[in-house]
Amino acid sequence: MTIIDGLVFLGSSHFGYELDAAAAFTGMDAVGTEMAVAVPMHPHRGDFAAANDGVAQAAEKSGGRLMPLCRVDPWEGEAAVAEVRRAVREGARGVFLHPSEERFRINDMLVRPVVEAAAELGTPVMVAAGYHLFAEPLQLGAAAQWTPDNTFVLTNGGQFNISGLSGFDAELALGNDNVHVHTTAMYREDFLEGVVAKFGPERLLFASAAPLFTMQYERLRVDLAHFSEAETELILGGNTARIFGEVSK
Amino acid sequence: MIFDMHMHIEESTALGWQMSAADCIRAMDEAGVERSAVMTLTDLPGLNPQGLELIAEACERYRDRLYGFIRLNPAHLEASRQLLKQAITELGFKGLKLHPVSTLQHPGGAPTIDLIRLAGELGVPTLFHCGDEPLSTPLSIAQAAAACPDAIIILGHMGGYFHVDEALDVAERFPNIILETSAMPYPDKIRTAVERIGAERVVFGSDGPVSSPALEKQKVIISSLGDEAAGLVLGGNAETLLRLAA
Repeated sequence: MTIIDGLVFLGSSHFGYELDAAAAFTGMDAVGTEMAVAVPMHPHRGDFAAANDGVAQAAEKSGGRLMPLCRVDPWEGEAAVAEVRRAVREGARGVFLHPSEERFRINDMLVRPVVEAAAELGTPVMVAAGYHLFAEPLQLGAAAQWTPDNTFVLTNGGQFNISGLSGFDAELALGNDNVHVHTTAMYREDFLEGVVAKFGPERLLFASAAPLFTMQYERLRVDLAHFSEAETELILGGNTARIFGEVSK
Repeated sequence: MIFDMHMHIEESTALGWQMSAADCIRAMDEAGVERSAVMTLTDLPGLNPQGLELIAEACERYRDRLYGFIRLNPAHLEASRQLLKQAITELGFKGLKLHPVSTLQHPGGAPTIDLIRLAGELGVPTLFHCGDEPLSTPLSIAQAAAACPDAIIILGHMGGYFHVDEALDVAERFPNIILETSAMPYPDKIRTAVERIGAERVVFGSDGPVSSPALEKQKVIISSLGDEAAGLVLGGNAETLLRLAA
């Protein structure tokens, strides 16, 4: 089984956090993670093309350990769509959107051309989920409906709510067959197990979202849940490999 | 002795929530947790009128493993005062639980302060749901801590996803605040809490059985506190705080 972390952020963020590839590999090695999906952080001065190039170069040097996604700001309009096309042409395995950090509502029509361009290119969309006003579960579900045949991956169970009150809406979002969710930071074990029971093990993907969250602890979230061996194999890597495509080492 | 400060039992047909004492014990055994504080998910008086009996029976059935906290709605102040007295003095409950998101009662409001002070007079702590929602943030609950300096207030979830740093700040300002570790996803913040306010003021909780006591315990362990501090956080503090027999 190849263990793949479904999300690590690389670079230096405008919002004060950072992780380079070497540090990411150290963390991955410590917990037995072989590969990871790598996403640029919100770049200083908003230069997303440079940030995408940085992650693409890190992936190229990684010996196949990193699968790069490109990140764009939908407020840039046509330029964002052009950047998606350029980055995918140069090897990006998907498109990452962060509604909170780039300040847009995920189901705003502003975003639709970017999502449709991804679908046209046959590349999945990953969204930083759960942020009030910008990426609530039902807003995410609505955006996923724009391109029902293209995969939508939502970080952290599609929600952030410490009362568990967003779980109901997250399950409604999962009613869209193209919606998948990460395990990251989802404190309700019964929600994660419920995703597998109600929607199938193909819909749940292990991710750490390092450095925002802790690789060791996020891995335990899967290891200590009550999944079968076959389910665990899909969650820890099989699903991410299927969606984002393993590269040859 | 490992003590989980935050577990739930509920049989609310109105909400479809079913979490039994046996579910708690099963999760505790899986995690190697000897004892837990248990409370309902609904507030009294309210959706589950049998909430007090439910917790009392669970604690009686699993004596020396489960300890009751009574969850109350301060909006029904007189009834809540009577229920709190009954729970603590007659049924052996060990604490008060308040969830301002479900009761819509501000932590700094007069009825809430009245109940917290009564809990303090009865010698038990008040466990708050403390997360990211209005009415439950650390700064909101700090209003209660300031008004009730002689009562112990536990911040459950220690601020949730986005308010952990504020929980640390208010715990530094108010010595009657204790931080409880459940659900929030940052092991390193547990270590920060111990460094800033001392290991004596941090307690392990899981919010189980729907979240995993085994996973939540690991969060404390991998925060690398050292044996002495880890022992306090995982159980020693609860023993002192709730005046449990060893």
